[in-house]
Amino acid sequence: MRKALVIQEDIIILKILERLVILNHYECKAIRSINDLEIEDQSANFDIIISDILFDGIAPLDFVFQIQEIILHKSLIIVTNMGQHKIEKEILASQNVSGFFPIPLDMDHIEKLIA
Amino acid sequence: MEAEILILLIKLLLIVLVIVFGSIAYSMIYRKWRTKRLKLIETTFAKICSLYLYPKPNEESNLIEIQRELKSVGITPTKPRNVQYLIDLMIRTQRSILGNNYIKLKTLFTQIPPYGASASKLKSSKWYIKARGIREIYEMDQSQYTRDLIKLRNDENIYVRREAQIGIVIFLGWKSLRFLPYLKRQMTLWQQIKIVEKLNDLYPEPDLKHLRRAYNSDRPYANELIMRIIRKFNLTEDIAYIIQFIDNPKFETREAAIYCISAFLLSDEQLREIKEKFYHISNIEQQLMLLKYIQRISVEIDLPFYKDLLYNGNDIIKLSTADILWNNAYKEEVQEYYYQQYTQKANSEFISV
Repeated sequence: MRKALVIQEDIIILKILERLVILNHYECKAIRSINDLEIEDQSANFDIIISDILFDGIAPLDFVFQIQEIILHKSLIIVTNMGQHKIEKEILASQNVSGFFPIPLDMDHIEKLIA
Repeated sequence: MEAEILILLIKLLLIVLVIVFGSIAYSMIYRKWRTKRLKLIETTFAKICSLYLYPKPNEESNLIEIQRELKSVGITPTKPRNVQYLIDLMIRTQRSILGNNYIKLKTLFTQIPPYGASASKLKSSKWYIKARGIREIYEMDQSQYTRDLIKLRNDENIYVRREAQIGIVIFLGWKSLRFLPYLKRQMTLWQQIKIVEKLNDLYPEPDLKHLRRAYNSDRPYANELIMRIIRKFNLTEDIAYIIQFIDNPKFETREAAIYCISAFLLSDEQLREIKEKFYHISNIEQQLMLLKYIQRISVEIDLPFYKDLLYNGNDIIKLSTADILWNNAYKEEVQEYYYQQYTQKANSEFISV
């Protein structure tokens, strides 16, 4: 079974994404902050990570960079409240990110990406 | 005797201390319990939403089950604060989701219990509760209460009527122009801008039938509002409406007219009309603004018009006219005027001597 990691602070978005991912036949780990990550997650080799970029103690761009370094995964999707165009451009330009969705978002787009 | 008083004082202080510590302890425990409760509501609500949007295969979401679940975490009519929290959660969720899911959530929210809570707020005597109720109604897109919002459009409290007007625009779109130009009270500039922006966001296709009916309104704020709409939606065929207000006796109306006209290019006929009206504007600043606009959109320099201003205008107008002429290859005219001033002065001095 494919594996997915969802990190979102807003529990409502988190739960909805979790359901969406599970329905698309993933095994899902859904957490609310990066503090809930465990050491084993590093080598879990997720097929997909759906994450926010706004966390305590780390700048958004650094976070994207770090998560790509540390956690083994195939593709990374960003879902965030911090949807300014400038941030989107920076993230999509500099890193290997397969999707950037500012909130409010249409989940159907994500579904297409992960299906 | 003194010792007794002291002991009494100490006892009194001790009682006060006990009360203080007691209340601190109570509030701490209460807060802890309360945050726990709110968290529980949030989690339950998140679970309900996610299961409603993405149900398990072959499983219909059961509304009665959902209602029961909400009741069990404390969403009951007797606990208005929990209900309010749930409403806030609903608004937050609806704000962050688009597409099909948005429509699905909308149907869900009409069917879970607290919804009536927003509508009942409209009956409150306090303005902030009323305004909040209106806001919740339009944020959650519950158009069945449009009638109640229409009733509040002339409310004596500015915040209530503002929210009600915005709600009317959101639900009725261009049809709201049946009410908005005929309000009993003035509308602020900010409110006008908000209405125009809302129309533009939600109903980008202009409905000229309703707009043109509103042209009959004689209320100053309505004239300004309509001019702003004409500008925002770029309705070139209705420029005449703006032009008629260019020399309006009211300062604000003129200001709005000059601001709105400056987004358009005019035909020769319209330009002529504006130049006629130019002389009737009593405010120099506004005349200047209009003069700059006329110069910007004219293809050719209308020499008689400018010369008239150069010789007969106010000093500030003269200066800008000279500026325009000078920069458009009519140096001689400016120089001529310049020297003519001195001969005139010399003549007058000569006479006075």
